[in-house]
Amino acid sequence: MNKTEASDSGHGGGALGADTEHPTGKRKPRFGQEWRLGYSFTLPLVLVLVALVAYPFFSGIVLSFQNKTIGGEATWVGFGNYADLLFGEQYASIFWNTVRVSLIYTFVSVTVKLVFGLLMALMVNEKFRGRMLIRALLFLPWATPTIIVALTWRWILDGSINGLVNLFRVEYLGAETLIQFLSDPDRALWAVIVVVIWQGTPFYTMMLLAGLQAIPSDQYEAASLDGANALQRFRDITIPGLTPAITITVLLSSIWTANSINFIYAMTRGGPSNSTMTFPMLAYEIGIAGGRQLGTAAAVSVLFFPLFIVAIYIMTKRMLSSEGQN
Amino acid sequence: MQNATLPTTDHNPHPVRRWLRRNALHSIILPLGITIFLIWTLFPYFWILATSVKPDRDIFVNATIFPQRFTLEHYRYIFDSSDFRVYFRNSAIVAVTTTLAAMAIAVFAAYALTRLRFVGREFIARTTIVTYLIPASLLFIPLFQVANQFNLTDSIWGLVIIYLIFSVPFSTWMTISYFNTVPSELQDAALVDGASKVRSLFTIFIPLSLPALAVVALFTFTVAWNEFLFALLLISRDSQKTIPLGLTEFVRGDTYQWGPLMAGSLLASLPPVVVYFVSQRWVVSGLAGGAIKG
Repeated sequence: MNKTEASDSGHGGGALGADTEHPTGKRKPRFGQEWRLGYSFTLPLVLVLVALVAYPFFSGIVLSFQNKTIGGEATWVGFGNYADLLFGEQYASIFWNTVRVSLIYTFVSVTVKLVFGLLMALMVNEKFRGRMLIRALLFLPWATPTIIVALTWRWILDGSINGLVNLFRVEYLGAETLIQFLSDPDRALWAVIVVVIWQGTPFYTMMLLAGLQAIPSDQYEAASLDGANALQRFRDITIPGLTPAITITVLLSSIWTANSINFIYAMTRGGPSNSTMTFPMLAYEIGIAGGRQLGTAAAVSVLFFPLFIVAIYIMTKRMLSSEGQN
Repeated sequence: MQNATLPTTDHNPHPVRRWLRRNALHSIILPLGITIFLIWTLFPYFWILATSVKPDRDIFVNATIFPQRFTLEHYRYIFDSSDFRVYFRNSAIVAVTTTLAAMAIAVFAAYALTRLRFVGREFIARTTIVTYLIPASLLFIPLFQVANQFNLTDSIWGLVIIYLIFSVPFSTWMTISYFNTVPSELQDAALVDGASKVRSLFTIFIPLSLPALAVVALFTFTVAWNEFLFALLLISRDSQKTIPLGLTEFVRGDTYQWGPLMAGSLLASLPPVVVYFVSQRWVVSGLAGGAIKG
């Protein structure tokens, strides 16, 4: 915040200086001119933000206090939808199950992605032949459309003998039983998490690689001269140097992982027996697919929103301040 | 014996271990680790390709991991017997139009937000970031209702409008971070020469950031090309479906037509993957700016 303000006045000061030092006479009063230009240049952006984000956002909050089906009339029910979700007979058990599943899903995915991503980043940061090509290949999942990733893995993990994993087990490992990855309630969530990790790791690798490259190499040289071994250098230089990159990556990734619906929609639809029901999927099931209860579905999203406010707040501050430094 | 052959290492009685310690990282752990990660990363692509060129018999009856017979029947099927061509065209129109609209909005807004002084500038910049970070899944229920209200359903143009939600904040934010790297002395010099602020946008900012803007455009294109959730919510007519949605047409109930599905997946992945390879060297630096969605 402070940094941003400082850099703003820096920019402004520069423009102001140019204005006062060279009064060409052609220039109109700077305040009026920039106001008009500023507002007309940002008008389309503001329209998009208001019409497509702010309006739906607030109408979603209003909706969560209403009983409304698709195409039906809305009636005001106060906190009825929230009470239904939190304590009601129909939804309470599935809602609390969704809280549990969403937390496991997000926490495990983010943690493993961070570990894999860090390992991958450390490896491709070393010098070796073909490094650029291997980087490009390792980052490929990031560039592949999510829905295609999900469908492909649905096929890899297929419970019949035709799915790649079962086929491999039978052909090469002599397995005699098939594993039902996606239709077994005890396995489905873990199977989906594996896929999320597969696609999400490259993002971590790229972010952390950028972080590694930003650490000055003379720090390592100095530490080597002081007799620090590889492990000490990793602990004393790499980890502290990477902390900002790790923070940003984990925050962004937590928001997006928790909210992704594509993997679960294409692989399990929240099943079997709700074992993979994360909250966007629950909102979809209640609002669009099954119940068509838009009000209750909106309440699901609103209930989960506070979890993200903190992350969004920290990220906004960070992104604005790093902009100021540029 | 070891000591005899290497007398200089008297102080270290285990030269093999010493060699290992010095070179283990580069000659064993690194190649091994990279090989494991490469196999882990690439085997799904092998499976897509293999499935797409196997006859149905080798997919479903006598399944084998490696293709035994080669066929293009699935590719023929998706072009001749499905609406894949329509989906592909729709996706291209939606992604290109979204990108052009978002870029036009982003360039002007980013210029104003980085170089013009007006009340509310901070607030607009902040809101743009918050919007970029707010996940679509928190908004999709009300947006579904709004789209119904304004008749944005069942049309690719409605989809283009909805896609501005994420493409505009995203491209604005990225453009801001590039415009910030343009030295303000350059603009000051142009202003001294009598250029107006509007002209300096076209004569300095856009030309200087052209490669960067191209990358922003490519990413916006990719995000729009890949989008699935809103297409699923808003489109039901076949003639308006985009590829991600169209691919799910090969799933009928519990029956998955894996051959055509994998053939279609391969073709649908090509545009974003090509974009990624073209712009690869900017990806890491763009990410470092915290601007690209993971």
